[in-house]
Amino acid sequence: MLINIDGKMCKGHAGETLMEVANRNNIDIPSLCYKKGFEGLGRCRLCLVEVKEGKRKKIVSACVYPIKDGIEVITSTDEIIKMRKDIILLLLLRSPENDYIKELAEEYGVKSPKKYKDQKNDDCILCGLCVEACEKLGTNAISFVYRGITKKVSTPFDDPSKDCIGCGSCAEVCPTNAIKLREINGTRTIWNRSFDLIQCTVCGNYYTTAESLKYVEEKLDYEEDHICERCKRKAMGSKFKESFQNIY
Amino acid sequence: MAKGIVIYPDKCTGCRTCELTCSFTKNDIFNPKDSAIAVLPYDEVGLQVPMTCLQCEDPHCMTVCTVNAITKNEKTGVVTVDDEKCIGCKMCVSACPFGNMTYSSRLKKVLKCDLCKGIPQCVKECPTDALQFKDLDGPLHKRKNIGDLFSDVFGEVSK
Repeated sequence: MLINIDGKMCKGHAGETLMEVANRNNIDIPSLCYKKGFEGLGRCRLCLVEVKEGKRKKIVSACVYPIKDGIEVITSTDEIIKMRKDIILLLLLRSPENDYIKELAEEYGVKSPKKYKDQKNDDCILCGLCVEACEKLGTNAISFVYRGITKKVSTPFDDPSKDCIGCGSCAEVCPTNAIKLREINGTRTIWNRSFDLIQCTVCGNYYTTAESLKYVEEKLDYEEDHICERCKRKAMGSKFKESFQNIY
Repeated sequence: MAKGIVIYPDKCTGCRTCELTCSFTKNDIFNPKDSAIAVLPYDEVGLQVPMTCLQCEDPHCMTVCTVNAITKNEKTGVVTVDDEKCIGCKMCVSACPFGNMTYSSRLKKVLKCDLCKGIPQCVKECPTDALQFKDLDGPLHKRKNIGDLFSDVFGEVSK
């Protein structure tokens, strides 16, 4: 299947989305909620592009649009930029204090009018990448709760989740850094739950949660010693050392 | 034919050029902390041991990765991490039995040797040939090639 993106002919196969083809050909389409390996979520809508199919043209979200043979795609027209600016304006009104959104707004020259103000000032843009990441991990600790203006990402009933393993994937994938993971004095706090971190038996540093380690053990079917990665490397190095010092 | 980095601790002077080369090629910064190779000093016996990913036959990091961000190339045997697919759960860091995988929260990615697409820069820059890029054809040959000197170490690798 051949498609034309910004004048460049790109190969793709049935079932692929426009975003996947564009990424493979190093064509940049702005987005917040797209992550490689994940199905397109189509929530941030920043990846809008114009698609010409025969005589008809339409505006679609690149991350969820399956490609068709012979379509022509333009990633940036005046109309699209105007639409993207509108979306960024809405994001900016929702998260006026967020650095990532502010940077994006500056890039597109968007300023928020003073008369509109969102009281909540939420960093989360409800893209759902964290929910997807947690699902991929198989823990399913968080999901969207409530509807409409009260919609948010949380654990069931906002309680500390039993399923959460405290790995912090949700915080890592978040495009606006809205999820807070705190690590103080050997406890990691995330989603209202505190995890006691495991101490390395060699150096005594805190390095991971007991739940994460259990997850690894289950996957590998293998009992892990409580040794951090730095001490493991040192142990391996010592073995090299021992075998070499006998030579001389 | 699979090729890999062979480490000769007796030749290493501990100059740490490999660490700087690695962090510069991979992360555009001269910082040993952002390097996928680390030199461990053993001053009491006068040895320096460079440690890096051994590209295991059956990588534990690949087994635990739920998003399939870690793959092993069947031809070259190289285990690579796709940073774009990685969700940062750090399970691979805990799973690696040799501790040759580290996570940088500043760079938001896993630091792991991928042999620089077949031309390892650390080997190229090593002034004393303590790191050599050699053919390791099959597990048996791999052991014969290096195992003469430290069979106990590589007995564990092939496990």
